[in-house]
Amino acid sequence: MEAIVIDNVSKKFRIPHEKKTTIFQNILGVIRRQFEYEELWALRDVSFAIKQGETFGIIGKNGSGKTTLLKILAKVLYPNSGSVTINGKVAPFLELGVGFQPELTAKENVYIYSSILGVSRKEVARNYGDIFEFAELKKFENMKLKNFSSGMYLRLAFSTAIQACPDIMLIDEAFAVGDGAFKEKCVDKIHEFQKQGTSIVFVSHALDTVKSLCDRSVLLHNGRVAALGATEEVIASYHAMLQGTAHVP
Amino acid sequence: MWKYRELIINLALSDLKSRYQNTILGFFWSLLSPFLMSMVLFFVFRSIFKQEENFLLNLLVGMMAWRFFLVSTNASLMSIVGKPSLVIKVYIPRQILVLSGALANLIGSFLEFVTLLPVIFVILGTVPVTVLLFPFIHLFYFWLIFGVGLLLSSLYVYFRDLNQIWEVLLNIIFFSCPIVYPLSMVSERLMPYYFLNPITNLIEMFRDVMVKGTLPRLENVAVVSGFGAAIFLIGSYVFDRLQRRFAEEI
Repeated sequence: MEAIVIDNVSKKFRIPHEKKTTIFQNILGVIRRQFEYEELWALRDVSFAIKQGETFGIIGKNGSGKTTLLKILAKVLYPNSGSVTINGKVAPFLELGVGFQPELTAKENVYIYSSILGVSRKEVARNYGDIFEFAELKKFENMKLKNFSSGMYLRLAFSTAIQACPDIMLIDEAFAVGDGAFKEKCVDKIHEFQKQGTSIVFVSHALDTVKSLCDRSVLLHNGRVAALGATEEVIASYHAMLQGTAHVP
Repeated sequence: MWKYRELIINLALSDLKSRYQNTILGFFWSLLSPFLMSMVLFFVFRSIFKQEENFLLNLLVGMMAWRFFLVSTNASLMSIVGKPSLVIKVYIPRQILVLSGALANLIGSFLEFVTLLPVIFVILGTVPVTVLLFPFIHLFYFWLIFGVGLLLSSLYVYFRDLNQIWEVLLNIIFFSCPIVYPLSMVSERLMPYYFLNPITNLIEMFRDVMVKGTLPRLENVAVVSGFGAAIFLIGSYVFDRLQRRFAEEI
């Protein structure tokens, strides 16, 4: 069964020459007749499906539409045309620690972040010990978040996020965080999710990580699908494209 | 919405905690401004309206009722723009951000009204039993404020000078309500139009149950529910249309 079906998705951004953010500027724009804008198709007719339990990589150059696609899967952006069908509970990790509030304690923030990710209070209470143990922050649970170092902050965020037990994980690059030892724990955790049958969509520039984690991948180029299939082959065509030898549609 | 109830409550509570800096004293400190303002207005207008019955109490109730509108609509302007990561980085129905803010203000305003009860007792020597009805008036008020909040918060994403315009509008609405002056000052001819203002109706309802000790009048309830429903529908529709591009505009 398919976890995600992406059907003919296109996304257009309008980039006005003169960005108008106030009513005043809009009135001025009408008077001066400044309506020009550039159209940028971040995605064009993108179609593919991701199977359940599969780890799927999205690669491509800067500006190829990777993040836009991930944001559409996360429902943060709406496509101009086409449709996305998602079967299961999605946990988007576009950024860790979304909704963390510096003025509240670590404990309170764990509850807030969990509820944003759709984890009930009961479940958090059950996993509460694990979260702080994994983050190695047991001593600091009643400290305000503003006094945390950035490493502690990310560890707390990661530990909380992985309790969400989603069916589908959307992971943007820079997910593995902290020092070497903690990074290893993160990768181990991802392997654990793979074993449990969680579908993972992974966006990254780090081709080595993509190669080691992902079964299949897609290569985006200027918003279109340039290659789709087994990760090895897709990475090969990416290398070919970078050297300018491949024919790119 | 129901499956997000924990999130809504968590966001509302963290809103309250940060507003009152996590202490009871913080709540009482926030009461300083409406009480002092009412005192100033009382001493300025006392001699003009001295024949009015219960001028001080009506003033206090009016100021508190107004404060709910003032504080929550001002806060709602920021409820989307002020939490960009919850819009760009994760999907939650964005109405939640407005709803939880309005809810926090509902709780705040409710508690503020509770502090009025001893004041009423001291001035009147008794507290009318109809006081028990004021939480229901708050619920009517809440829907109106949620609707206005949906409208303001979504428009503010696109028009960042809306706050300045809203400030002026707030002043106009304030003076078109019988807060600092008694109703008897309004001319008979204008009265039907005057009572089209839902805030005026709400203030009168609060005064009926808290000071006069009568039930709220049916015509007030009708105007408030009519306005509340209309503004909520318009707000929901506008918000729903505009929220599709929030992540691009914020």
